[in-house]
Amino acid sequence: MTRFDVIVVGGGHAGTEAALAAARMNAKTLLITQNIETLGQMSCNPAIGGIGKSHLVKEIDALGGVMAQAADAAGIHFRVLNGRKGPAVRATRAQTDRQLYKAFIRQKLEHQENLSLFQQSVADLIIENNRVVGVITQMDQQFRADAVILTVGTFLGGIIHVGLNQHSGGRAGDSASNKLSERLRELPFEVGRLKTGTPPRIDGRTVDFSVLEEQPGDTPRPVMSFWSDASVHPEQRPCYITHTNEATHDVIRAGLQRSPLYSGVIDGIGPRYCPSIEDKVVRFADKNAHQIFVEPEGLNTTELYPNGISTSLPYDVQIDLIHSIKGFENAHISRPGYAIEYDFFEPRGLKSTLETKPIENLFFAGQINGTTGYEEAAAQGLLAGINAALLSQSKEPWSPGRDQAYIGVLVDDLITLGTLEPYRMFTSRAEYRLILRQDNADRRLTETGRNLGLVDDDKWHSYLKKLQEIDELNSELAKTVVFPGNSAIDALLEEPLGREYHLAELLKRPGVDIQSLLMANGNTEYDVVAAEQVEIDIKYRGYIARQQQDIERIRAQHALNIPVDLDYLLIHGLSNEVKQKLQQVRPENLGQASRISGVTPAALSLLLVHLKRRSEFQQTAATG
Amino acid sequence: MNQGPAVSDLATIVAEATPAGRGGVGIIRLSGSGVCNIGKTLVGHLPAKRQVETRVFRAADNSVIDQGLVIYFQGPASFTGEDVLELHGHGGPVVMAMLMQRCIELGARQARPGEFTERAFLNNKIDLTQAEAVADLIDSASQAAVRNAVKSLQGAFSERINGLVVKVTHLRTFVEASIDFPEEEEDFLADQNLIDQLEQMMAEVISILSNAKQGVILQEGLQLVLVGEANSGKSSMMNLLSGQETSIVTEIPGTTRDVIKENIVLDGIPVRVLDTAGIRDSIDPIEREGIRRTVKSIEQADAVLWLIDWPAEIGQGQVLSQDALRAFMHARLIDLRRVLFKGADLEKPLVVILNKVDLLDSTHLLGDAPEPDTVYFSTKTGQGLSEMMAVLKEKLGLDIHPEGLFSARRRHLLALKVASEHLQLAFQRLTEESAGELMAEELKCAQDALGEITGKVRSDELLGKIFSGFCIGK
Repeated sequence: MTRFDVIVVGGGHAGTEAALAAARMNAKTLLITQNIETLGQMSCNPAIGGIGKSHLVKEIDALGGVMAQAADAAGIHFRVLNGRKGPAVRATRAQTDRQLYKAFIRQKLEHQENLSLFQQSVADLIIENNRVVGVITQMDQQFRADAVILTVGTFLGGIIHVGLNQHSGGRAGDSASNKLSERLRELPFEVGRLKTGTPPRIDGRTVDFSVLEEQPGDTPRPVMSFWSDASVHPEQRPCYITHTNEATHDVIRAGLQRSPLYSGVIDGIGPRYCPSIEDKVVRFADKNAHQIFVEPEGLNTTELYPNGISTSLPYDVQIDLIHSIKGFENAHISRPGYAIEYDFFEPRGLKSTLETKPIENLFFAGQINGTTGYEEAAAQGLLAGINAALLSQSKEPWSPGRDQAYIGVLVDDLITLGTLEPYRMFTSRAEYRLILRQDNADRRLTETGRNLGLVDDDKWHSYLKKLQEIDELNSELAKTVVFPGNSAIDALLEEPLGREYHLAELLKRPGVDIQSLLMANGNTEYDVVAAEQVEIDIKYRGYIARQQQDIERIRAQHALNIPVDLDYLLIHGLSNEVKQKLQQVRPENLGQASRISGVTPAALSLLLVHLKRRSEFQQTAATG
Repeated sequence: MNQGPAVSDLATIVAEATPAGRGGVGIIRLSGSGVCNIGKTLVGHLPAKRQVETRVFRAADNSVIDQGLVIYFQGPASFTGEDVLELHGHGGPVVMAMLMQRCIELGARQARPGEFTERAFLNNKIDLTQAEAVADLIDSASQAAVRNAVKSLQGAFSERINGLVVKVTHLRTFVEASIDFPEEEEDFLADQNLIDQLEQMMAEVISILSNAKQGVILQEGLQLVLVGEANSGKSSMMNLLSGQETSIVTEIPGTTRDVIKENIVLDGIPVRVLDTAGIRDSIDPIEREGIRRTVKSIEQADAVLWLIDWPAEIGQGQVLSQDALRAFMHARLIDLRRVLFKGADLEKPLVVILNKVDLLDSTHLLGDAPEPDTVYFSTKTGQGLSEMMAVLKEKLGLDIHPEGLFSARRRHLLALKVASEHLQLAFQRLTEESAGELMAEELKCAQDALGEITGKVRSDELLGKIFSGFCIGK
């Protein structure tokens, strides 16, 4: 029997990042998947990134992950969202060719040292003394490892609905993992059901593009990875926009009685920010049109993904629905839309490393934790992979704080607040939004990634070079003084200088941008990316300082660890409600405790006093 | 090895160490690593440790706030184990408020109830055996603080703050939606006249703040209202109270014909007393109007003094048993509620003044009053005045902790000021660079500040509002 350091179950976005991260950290890693052909499969829409999501992608990239580079290699349409709002809320999105994306991921996996792939369905975990030590496949093979990561997506107890028809499945065309699901339900995890859905895909040869609004990608074309440039992008394609109309809505309303959502067949809770088209029509009855983004599935396929009309209505209703839409009058459905219900595990049962609290050395990442989205899954996979490798090497665990990364916000929200619907990232979830930007993910995380062994020499040196360029520009702006009568500067400011100024002071003015300022100063050799960083640092300076103060203020709380075995019911003075909540979440430190709803400053004080007394008692016991 | 949680790096805290309005000296105490810097700015150079010296306490513009004694304790040789600074000033509520405000400006945070003791405990300055006592203190002090915060929030003030929070939340819903969902066809901000909305909010905060300063809604003091029937001695009570040695500070002419207000100081506590028209159950429209105004005064007040002409009620020469007295009082209270509130609860601390006991002859052995919050009183002789004040203070929690009604109110005022500043910055950001992430940040800060008063609005609640209000998602 072969022994591994880390076993990853599942080959989606969480599983592949987990396996690659563990292997890069020199852990001997095995990735087991039902089907090697579907490694890196995009089960939903063919896009990577978006608001809040590209923030995660760039953090994964900064930590040496693969998602951003795959998106660049497969991206056939790139846009910057919120371009006119400030840099903190700016985001990047790539439409991708599914085949190119999968091929890139597959190639990375196959060329990764320390990583083996194996095609087989996992049926059981080997657990000894509440610790996982390996997995058993459907063929009864056993694989042993120090740590096991489950990234099983929607495959646990997956049920696919099209109208009132339903069948077991993990994704259209793939079977569910029912054996593993049954086994996990026997373990001490709290199980819930969630639901998500996809729209019908249509054949582009049967669509009338002449009546659709074309949406081209952005120029200049943005890039997803810190280590790529636009030259790696394949041929670019436009997207299109069309709309539903009252006729569509009539079709939907007439079909509602055969909708699994509205006839009570589906119990799972779906995402409110990504409702099915039947949900939109019912809940927002006064809207007479809903937008549809028509996204290309790839360069070598005619299939299209009409984003915005995910549905589980019966197939015959889907046909009428599609035909009622402008441009789709004669469209052929190549794959019906469907809803899928699946198991997830209450994420408050996880540590911030994504290790489960009840079973040691077992990690969960991705939709199994109640999230949705490729990016959310990949971020968790990366974190679980890192910590599984650290655990197998007997090293200290690592997880970023809410002030360091969206990954930290994601994990802290999950393990502290839990979730009632599929959890998706938004920038409004991050209280330090001005610090956690997509543009500075490398400056926030790459050094850590390097220390963890995730960032290779090439990336590291290119990062150091960027830092040096930032330093040089900073010192140029801080040291260069311009005097009254400087015509280039006067022209830029549209008024004469009244006195001498440092360039950095001028950059603080609204409307003055760094590139024009450097040009006016005669510098044409500057690095654009570094200049952007310097500009944002200066423009945001006051706000960043304020957020840093907030961070400092609560840092002490995060340094106060709470023992996992603390019995909250014994704490004097706490209300029963607070005791129960603390007992359920079992926060890792005082900071996490403070974010549990209902935990007041006074409750924290009582907790602190209790911990103090407890540590004194332990000390007495140890010395006496 | 295990030293327990190290707390020396926590924020510098400040609080009044003496109960509000008590006596001639008021002490403000600071603890934490920032004490030296704050102290130097406030009083110039600090005296040597544990030496008492006189200093002038200065405001930001260098004007004099007060003059008094300063003692500096260098940690760990201090009450809390941290650096501690004590400022002994002249104790008036206004001066104390200014000093507190200045310390907060300089970076200190208003201490939570029991926090000094908590730090002393955590820094090993208090014996371990007292852990439960410390926990009890934190618990009871925070409960008292919550009660006082609720008291401070009653009535019109609370309505206005909540109204403001609703407006800020509403605006944030649209601003955050426009940031997190830029591709929806709905232009979330199109129908939102942001400038108008922000201007309205700024005006509202300023109006609440200025009202607060005028003492109409949120004064730094107590508001008492006298109610009772026509001949129960309300006017005499008013005269008695305003005839006190330290009595009349100012006299504000009554804005309504039949509610008379006096500002006085009782036991060092600034008090505004409202006299009301005599209560009579009547259908006479003029008298109904009087009742309506009385009810309004009660809603604004911190406590109600209910005067009863005791000899008239029980009749001369008649001696009632304690049980009979109690039954009688209950019946009267039900009467009062029916006339004033259509039977609903008063929802204010009530002290029952059994007045004119000087008219009863000595054969009436008064003994204990029939109910705990009832005082035998004579507006003629002043008998019962100290008992009345004791009952009032106990009911309002003034004697128990320095964290009384005043500091609850000050906390709220501070939060309003912070909210006001952020709203103004939001406005500035909006006009300079349209509705971007910096305006959103200022709005969030404003909402967080108001959240100190009303409770935080969490980001998932905001997202919930966005999802229920707008059709979002592709």
